[in-house]
Amino acid sequence: MNQKNNLIVGIIIALLVAASINVDANPLEFIEGLPNLGIVAEEMTEVEPKLFETALWSMFETIQMAFIGTVVGVAISLPLSMLAARNLNSKYVYGPVRAILAAIRTFPSILWAILFVIMVGLGPFAGVLALIMYTVGFVAKLQYEAIEAIDSDPMDAVGSIGVSKWQLIRYVVLPESAPHLLGQMLYMFDYNVRQSSILGLVGAGGIGFYIINYIKFFEYGKVAIFMVVVLATVLIIDWVSVKIRDKYIIKSQHGMEVSAK
Amino acid sequence: MKLIQMTKPSSFSEISTKKIIQMNDVWTSYDSKDYTLKGINLSIDRGTNYAIVGKSGSGKSTLLKLMNGMMIPSKGIIKVDYQTPNMKNKKFKVMMHKIGYIPQSLGLIKNITVLENILVGALPRLGTVQSLFKIFPEDEIQEAKKILKLVGLSGKEDRKAYMLSGGEKRRVAIARAFMQKPTILLADEIVSELDHVTAREIMNLIADAQKRMNLTAIMVHHDMQLALEYANRVAVIKDGEKILEIGVEGDKIVDFQTGNLSTQEIMELYSDEPKK
Ligand SMILES: Nc1ncnc2c1ncn2[C@@H]1O[C@H](COP(=O)(O)OP(=O)(O)O)[C@@H](O)[C@H]1O
Ligand SMILES: [Mg+2]
Repeated sequence: MNQKNNLIVGIIIALLVAASINVDANPLEFIEGLPNLGIVAEEMTEVEPKLFETALWSMFETIQMAFIGTVVGVAISLPLSMLAARNLNSKYVYGPVRAILAAIRTFPSILWAILFVIMVGLGPFAGVLALIMYTVGFVAKLQYEAIEAIDSDPMDAVGSIGVSKWQLIRYVVLPESAPHLLGQMLYMFDYNVRQSSILGLVGAGGIGFYIINYIKFFEYGKVAIFMVVVLATVLIIDWVSVKIRDKYIIKSQHGMEVSAK
Repeated sequence: MKLIQMTKPSSFSEISTKKIIQMNDVWTSYDSKDYTLKGINLSIDRGTNYAIVGKSGSGKSTLLKLMNGMMIPSKGIIKVDYQTPNMKNKKFKVMMHKIGYIPQSLGLIKNITVLENILVGALPRLGTVQSLFKIFPEDEIQEAKKILKLVGLSGKEDRKAYMLSGGEKRRVAIARAFMQKPTILLADEIVSELDHVTAREIMNLIADAQKRMNLTAIMVHHDMQLALEYANRVAVIKDGEKILEIGVEGDKIVDFQTGNLSTQEIMELYSDEPKK
């Protein structure tokens, strides 16, 4: 390592220490606090089994929220992504649409949830609306980027037949960007399940609603049970989406690589 | 009296049907500094099998793109069936329905089937709702299957396009163009990368269709031999200029537009590494 690198590492460490002091982050406190986890683990064993059932049901509600949020969100984002793609529209169309999408993305889903709780009241529906907004903002962006990355050759070849824009979208844009879309849906569903566990914190339904209540009453054993259910669910979804990806997405991309030769 | 004779239907139709593509002192550029094509003059008769030959980078693809309005010249006049090629020109857009264009890269849609790729050629004949829901009339499907058989792809209709071999992909692209019921076929070096036998199979396919449908075929070639074998006329492009136009009849060269060269000299003129 040379002199300059040493200096940079030194500065980073100095900043780390300074920032830690400022935010009261003390590693000793962390180590001293570790045994507290043991107490939580003990509390977990004392919880009655019926609670486990409640946890599973509320997780099921969360998954349904995520499912609706993903499907409806993707359905809304598809036409928007078509309008936002620079290779399909004039700047007077894609400019404003992109601005709207960027504005939607500015808010994290928890802020959308607060807004919708104010609008439609406490409960899962507010959470679903929040997930839809978040999904629209993100998937539309990922999707218009995928559309802009489409091979221009089939676009030109089919465009030169003099087909309408609708036909171009239906026969070139959709099939050529579909593999990306499936991947994005899986990613968003995964993300929305995690998110909707949190949305309950602001009263927008799902498993998070129970978690926040038990936290309020310092019942950490119960909280832990719910967290374990969330963890298990997320792992299962992860595993399933890897399987789906392998089956549908990797295969078609492999085919494309072969065809490029 | 002579003027009145000129407007008689018989002589009118003779004049209007003969020339299908005309270029008059056409210049193009991609980046305002340099001209890619320099003062091209062309006149192609209906039903001709026309070949464009030249080294890579000489401007062959550009010349082809001018003929279906994908490129607009910076100077000069182009007429395709008496219309100026331009995608924004409504009349020309209707003509595009019957101009089959096969780019060098073929432009197939990878993730849909062979049959669907071919049916894309029929899209101009379909309504919006029909095409959005992929409802093709039975006669169009029958036509597509007929063409599929003609190009030698029977049994492969449900294969995804990305699964095909290079030769098969070219057959799909040709079938899509045939599905347009074209009057003009523009093909950009579609047999250059193929082996000798497959290249000739595909050239025969186009030559047959060209005679049967009175198609005007304009094909860019890498191989002068192949061009002389199949075309009635061969234009040689060098550095954006048409330096030679040869008329071919059977195995004889019947006329030169420019120059006074032997067949041997023509072949050498074209070859990528000139013999000394
Ligand atoms: N899209 C483009 N942008 C800029 N230059 C281009 C483009 N396409 C072609 N050219 C240039 O124009 C010239 C002619 O290209 P092209 O018509 O493709 O030649 P050919 O088909 O004979 O190989 C080349 O010098 C090439 O670099
Ligand atoms: Mg070329």
